[in-house]
Amino acid sequence: MKREIVLTVNQRAELLTVEDADTLLDVLRDRLKLWSVRESCGVGACGSCTVLLDGRPVSSCFLLAVRAVDHAITTLEGLGDGRSLHPIQEAFVEERALQCAYCTPGFVLSVKSFLEENPEPSDDDIREYLSGNLCRCAGYADILRAVRAAQRKMAPSRA
Amino acid sequence: MTIQSFDLLQPRSLSEAVDMLAERGDDARPLGGGTTLVILMKQRALHYRYLVDLQTIPGLNEIKREVDGVRIGALVTHRMVESSALIREAFPVLADAFSRIGNVRVRQTASVGGNLAHGDYRLDPPPPLLVLGAEVNVVGPNGARTIPLKNFFRGMYETALEPAEVLVDVKVPFMEPDSGAAYLRYSTLSANDWPCLGVAAWLRKTNGRCQELRIALGGVAATPVLINGLDFVADQKIDDELIARLLDRVDQQISPSGDLRGSVWYKRRMARLFVRKAVEQLNGAPS
Repeated sequence: MKREIVLTVNQRAELLTVEDADTLLDVLRDRLKLWSVRESCGVGACGSCTVLLDGRPVSSCFLLAVRAVDHAITTLEGLGDGRSLHPIQEAFVEERALQCAYCTPGFVLSVKSFLEENPEPSDDDIREYLSGNLCRCAGYADILRAVRAAQRKMAPSRA
Repeated sequence: MTIQSFDLLQPRSLSEAVDMLAERGDDARPLGGGTTLVILMKQRALHYRYLVDLQTIPGLNEIKREVDGVRIGALVTHRMVESSALIREAFPVLADAFSRIGNVRVRQTASVGGNLAHGDYRLDPPPPLLVLGAEVNVVGPNGARTIPLKNFFRGMYETALEPAEVLVDVKVPFMEPDSGAAYLRYSTLSANDWPCLGVAAWLRKTNGRCQELRIALGGVAATPVLINGLDFVADQKIDDELIARLLDRVDQQISPSGDLRGSVWYKRRMARLFVRKAVEQLNGAPS
């Protein structure tokens, strides 16, 4: 069935005609051209298609777009102000926590939700939370350092 | 990969959902979190012309304290169970089991009711819910009924749910004060994968003697298995002899199939090992 919906993406209301079978990933990429949202495994295991739904990470590859109505959707494009990077992005750059960067948007969004929920995590907390984001360039050590760097940048005393 | 076209029906009440399902028969399925059903439809392993969205029904996503236990709505997510202060206090074993499923995004999306209704033999929640004595409440064309979880799983991906019946909530009775429970999950591939097997144990002890013991396993038969015939442990000390008898009971009641995560031989060996570990852990002995 086709229907008209309004999705709130990066704080903008987007009026769209979608099929019930369309995934949020399809709509974000093909219709809204938000290329940071990427498909890889297609089954929620790899984290490349991560977006935030009301601030919490979900896999957009199997979330039906019509079920995202009435929720705030954030993609990587919604993090910065268009001129400067978000502190988590800065941390990833400074720690060189990316190589091909296919997985990076998913990691950055997961880290954002994670640090908001748990501002002073243990190493195990970080590993557990990010265990569902896969990086095949094997940059995990750099990514863990980037999380710590982002944590320092985002700590209230240093804001 | 795109999903073959279907209609998402969005009922406002349980009775409307039941009517929608009853009218459309085998062409319709209820949709919980969608972590299984949407993925299987995307992979074209399944197709339904209609999905009935249970997320649009108010009241199904609450965790409520009652006099004798806790009621977990069918649409409560795994993440909600894992982070609920009420669950963490009353049933730490459940918070622990739910916290180790898949990854955080899956737990953010997957629903408690959807997980049970899927009836997969290796899922993590059934073993701890079985030893806790949980029951599920369902509603269908013939009204509401309560099914003890131990009678819910009927076969591989088969449950006691009748056509057009919808799982409404899971009721978990409070644990007795001198009892404890543990869930051990054993992964042979990645930590985020389905387990090779899972073992839940529940033990009530007084004055150093075992009064009651319950054991349930996932991944070692076509359904999750609650071991029966454990009455012999009443008023006994937990020693090697008792554990040996217990392991024989477990061995007789499981019937593993080999899968990617372990052969039949291996699963039988690991079932013995992890049941022993779980009981020893609850009994306070080193494992």
